[in-house]
Amino acid sequence: MPGTTLGKQKKPFGQWLRTRKVQQWLVIIAFMTIPLILLVTFSYVPFAKMFEFSLYKMKRYDSKNNKFIGLENYLDVFSRDDCFNSLKLAGYYIVASFIQLAMALYFATILCFKVRGGSLFKGLIFFPYLISGIAIGFIFKFFYTRGFVFDTVLSWIGLNPESLPYWLKDTRINNASLAATSVWRYMGQNMVLFLGAMMSVDPTLYEACAIDGANSWAKFRYIMLPSIKSVILLNMILSISGSLSAFEPPYVITGGTFGTSTYFVMMNSLAHEKGKIGLAAAMAVVLMGLIFIVTIAQQVIMKVADEDWREERRNKKLAKARKKAEKEARA
Amino acid sequence: MKVKKLTALVMAGAMMGTMAMSTMAFAEEAELPTLDTIVLGEDYTDLEATIKVLTHRTDIVDTVFAEYIASFNELYPGITVEYEAVTDYAEDIKIRLTTDDWGDICMIPTNLQKNELADEFISFGEKETLDTMYVMLNNFTYDGQVYGIPSTGNAQGVVYNKKVFEAAGITELPKTPDEFIAALQAIKDNTEAIPLYTNFAAGWTMGAWDAYVGGSATGDPDFMNYGLVHAENPFADNGEQTGPYAVYNVLYEAVAQGLIEDDPTTTDWEGCKGMINNGEIGCMVLGSWAVVQMQEAGPNAADIGYMPFPITVDGAQYAAAGPDYCYGINVNAETDNQIASLLYVKWLTEESGFSYDQGGLPICVGGEYPDVLSAFDGVTLVVDNPAKEGEEDLFGNINTDSEVGLNMDNTHVQMVLEEALQGGKTMEEIAAEWNEAWAEAQADYEVEVAPYEYQPMGAAAEDEAVEETSAAE
Repeated sequence: MPGTTLGKQKKPFGQWLRTRKVQQWLVIIAFMTIPLILLVTFSYVPFAKMFEFSLYKMKRYDSKNNKFIGLENYLDVFSRDDCFNSLKLAGYYIVASFIQLAMALYFATILCFKVRGGSLFKGLIFFPYLISGIAIGFIFKFFYTRGFVFDTVLSWIGLNPESLPYWLKDTRINNASLAATSVWRYMGQNMVLFLGAMMSVDPTLYEACAIDGANSWAKFRYIMLPSIKSVILLNMILSISGSLSAFEPPYVITGGTFGTSTYFVMMNSLAHEKGKIGLAAAMAVVLMGLIFIVTIAQQVIMKVADEDWREERRNKKLAKARKKAEKEARA
Repeated sequence: MKVKKLTALVMAGAMMGTMAMSTMAFAEEAELPTLDTIVLGEDYTDLEATIKVLTHRTDIVDTVFAEYIASFNELYPGITVEYEAVTDYAEDIKIRLTTDDWGDICMIPTNLQKNELADEFISFGEKETLDTMYVMLNNFTYDGQVYGIPSTGNAQGVVYNKKVFEAAGITELPKTPDEFIAALQAIKDNTEAIPLYTNFAAGWTMGAWDAYVGGSATGDPDFMNYGLVHAENPFADNGEQTGPYAVYNVLYEAVAQGLIEDDPTTTDWEGCKGMINNGEIGCMVLGSWAVVQMQEAGPNAADIGYMPFPITVDGAQYAAAGPDYCYGINVNAETDNQIASLLYVKWLTEESGFSYDQGGLPICVGGEYPDVLSAFDGVTLVVDNPAKEGEEDLFGNINTDSEVGLNMDNTHVQMVLEEALQGGKTMEEIAAEWNEAWAEAQADYEVEVAPYEYQPMGAAAEDEAVEETSAAE
């Protein structure tokens, strides 16, 4: 019995292996394995582990004294006034990131055209991005120290150094001081991304536009901006999720003191100083959820704001209505 | 050779199954000598091993420690000692300990939970036996076994500049919080110096304030491990200018009355050493380990003094004393390495003279006291007693769960300064918050809570003495 079925329906294994369909699958699997293994080991397994941590009351990673407490850590994240409230500080960084994007767009537009010393300026503006965040922290710690760099510069333009605020101590402005350092750091990177997108715009479009009598503003508004729309969206998503997870400036410059403790600084202090790893892991999971929501919301808003998309939708609706009308007419 | 055979046996045992493995593992533990049984220079002189030591002393790793290695190798030529100095030691060591092969000897992180000691380190021997040889072993003793030997001992006090105090017209060292604040005011009025430099920005330096809440503020050796755990509202103001409240209130008042540096957010730890040496700073609240560093930071070493924390309990002054970082030996290292590490730790503790040279309290019973601690004449040194049996984890658990974090993090001390500077919460409100969190954690662990009265050391003896004299009359 088994012999007959084998002989009739299946080819020998070697031959079967060499068929086109099997070969195709083999190639697909072979190419997928390595990236999948990497993705699972370095992204999904650690994340699953972190989610597991968030369900425990634990002081250290490998301790046997961890106690399972279910979702209590998540309740804590939302009920404690120092966890979720620290997200408010992200507001400073979000405002700063919009200023940063506007400045980057401005510089990119200028440098996109032939400017004397353009490469030099591009280099200078991009340069801060190459310095490590920790080093930038130390630079600005001295920059903001009373009577040091910033105060001296301001006194050159006639301000009385005695009447200047304490840049890091005064709780009304210290978060703005810190957010400014991240503008300084990331503006150049944003600019380079914009510049790259702008360079790929077909120059003949500008020429045609000029022949039609468009001025520089019109060129920017009707040719450049629509062409780099996707890069602007990308930069915005990166900046906002970056603002939510601001860490280096407050950690290095103020250590999270005087009301500058952002969500990440709080998380670090809970996990590594206060010995509440479970709670910190729960904070991380909540933050990830938030970043998801923000990103999706941004996509949706951009889509709704997009004229092409609205027109497409309008056309579709019209087509539907027409079909319906035709049907009814036929009936 | 014997050891190698044994490890081979253990390997074989592991293959046979878990039952066999556990018995063999016991055999391996039995093979390790304890610190008291080793005779330096006689045992294991032909042992060959390379051991790695993790240390926080980046400043002397190429000088003092290099000399130590040379002298140690005269006794044990076969043992190679390598030091690795870690700059941000307190933070980094916690991460490195999560792996098994971080090295052989390290400084045990202070916030390690006691019940986890045996997972990371080998035992140096029985507490009772080692107590006859060394002092201050309590911090890392669990189940009667000692897992950490102190590298040196610190007395807790205040570093001050004698010249600045003189110039301010302070003839007698302040003994109470009020006298201390008055002295700071005198420094502000009469000199150019910053009365009290907080080192706020460095963060960890603020953690020093926690060291005074026990022995210095109460004179009670049981306060830290028993009193705090069982006391009702331990942080509340007791009205006598003693206890934890008095310690933090000194900081609060000094800040509120403007007796500290102009901008705490930009203080400079390395810079402050030279500043106090040159008389630009009146005093700083730091452990005795800081004295040598301040003396060496400039030409005026003789100006640097060290005084007890200005709190007087029932007419007497006390100073908390305790171990500095303690040596721990990796439980996962090879047996040869563990023995070599035991030899080196014993040599460091007994022969190197490390604690005397660094101006610390002696670790060996009957050791010599260095000169810097001379201002502590007549001050009773209080070494905290260990927690009662079965309560070893309680202080750590309550301290973590309540997030007060005494001797663990600096945020609560920094908060005192922030609130005082911004005119936010009062010290009473801060203390009430801590008490509330503390009480909640106490309830979680079902601790019996009662009002606690300090039992200062030697007070009973003094009472007896008074009785005796009155009897003589």
